Amino acid sequence: MLDVNVKKRLGGDLPKGFLLDISFAVDGGITVLAGASGAGKTTTLRLIAGILTPDEGIIKVGDETYFDSGQNVDLSIQKRQVGFVFQDYALFPHLTAEQNIAYGIKAKSKTARAEKAMEMLALFHIEHIRTRIPREMSGGEQQRVAVARALASDPAVLLLDEPLSAVDVETRSKLLDEIEAAQAQTGIPFVYVTHNEAEAVRLGKQRITLEKGRVVKT
Amino acid sequence: MIWEALKLSLLVVSFATVIICVVGLLFAYLLAKFDFRGKEFLDALLTMPLVLPPTVTGYYLIFLLGRRGLLGSFLYDLTGWSVVFTWQGAVIAAVVMALPLMIKASRASIESVNPDYEIASYTLGKSKLETFLRITLPLAKRGVLAGLILSFARALGEFGATLMIAGNIPGKTQTMPLAIYEAVASGDDRRAQVLALVLTAISLIAVYLTNRISRSQIYG
Repeated sequence: MLDVNVKKRLGGDLPKGFLLDISFAVDGGITVLAGASGAGKTTTLRLIAGILTPDEGIIKVGDETYFDSGQNVDLSIQKRQVGFVFQDYALFPHLTAEQNIAYGIKAKSKTARAEKAMEMLALFHIEHIRTRIPREMSGGEQQRVAVARALASDPAVLLLDEPLSAVDVETRSKLLDEIEAAQAQTGIPFVYVTHNEAEAVRLGKQRITLEKGRVVKT
Repeated sequence: MIWEALKLSLLVVSFATVIICVVGLLFAYLLAKFDFRGKEFLDALLTMPLVLPPTVTGYYLIFLLGRRGLLGSFLYDLTGWSVVFTWQGAVIAAVVMALPLMIKASRASIESVNPDYEIASYTLGKSKLETFLRITLPLAKRGVLAGLILSFARALGEFGATLMIAGNIPGKTQTMPLAIYEAVASGDDRRAQVLALVLTAISLIAVYLTNRISRSQIYG
């Protein structure tokens, strides 16, 4: 489903720079991308989404090639069907929950877009915060809106970058249930980045561990 | 006479403000979002009218746009028309003089928008233009509005460069600041007083609004 085989040199951050050299394949379901901070997890997600460009390699999702240095293929972020949940959610602060979710919905007609947004609100049980803007939501609510927004654009794969690092432990377990349920319901493959061992164990039927820019375990 | 100058000032400033809004946002976005050679030099060049004597800026405008100017001569050969001594010339002078205020304020507030919002919009399939209009601009609107109002006030008060390129023709290019100058020079104190008060009132309201907007809290 998702094939990644890329190299990227990142200069400056660490002494003598940092070489990310990773190769892995992901099928359906939830795949956990684990590893200590600084191992290259977030960079990996950003490469897949097209926010960063690899120095060389191949990124494929299904039949579609997003990046291939040999063939000079490099799809723009917009053209890649990748949903992205940011660590701090990056919800648009001036838009309501519903407007955030509706923002990326691709349906042409207004009614179809509104229906899809309602469907996502229902999936995450957040109809009641429909008209709230992000600063009026709790951390857990923001997290739900962020996942709903990313899924609403019908991505081929959903990338989640430590989505629970900003919520308390009690809420965390509930949100993990919801993320699993959302994956099962939509059938979209999730790649879930975390440095939290408990989360990794809990979610990880499929697990890829990164260490210093390399895959050490799959 | 007073009415004529006020009307002309408003005409010139309306056109100037619209142009400043579009051109200023373009330059602000360019300077905020792209790295290119000569970027800081471009910024410095665009800031020049803020620090140069307006007469110097006016001189350059004549050098560029005058009948025998670098660009002006082409225009004159083509159309037989020149911006010198026209109200359009006054608009150009106002734009060039007030543009730096718009660019500075807008650039700073565009730069202050968390780039993750823009990246999030891209991952949701939106183009750079749509992202700018629906995400960046609304989030930067405080600085952009403040810059626009300040530019409006600056354009309204423009004197030196306008005098150089548009002259001081009553009813044609004599905006309020020029009319005040002429009223004082010809000893017409009452007219000078009224014009000065009107200009002060408009400018005061503009600066007051700018401060209000700058201090207002949006989206915490």
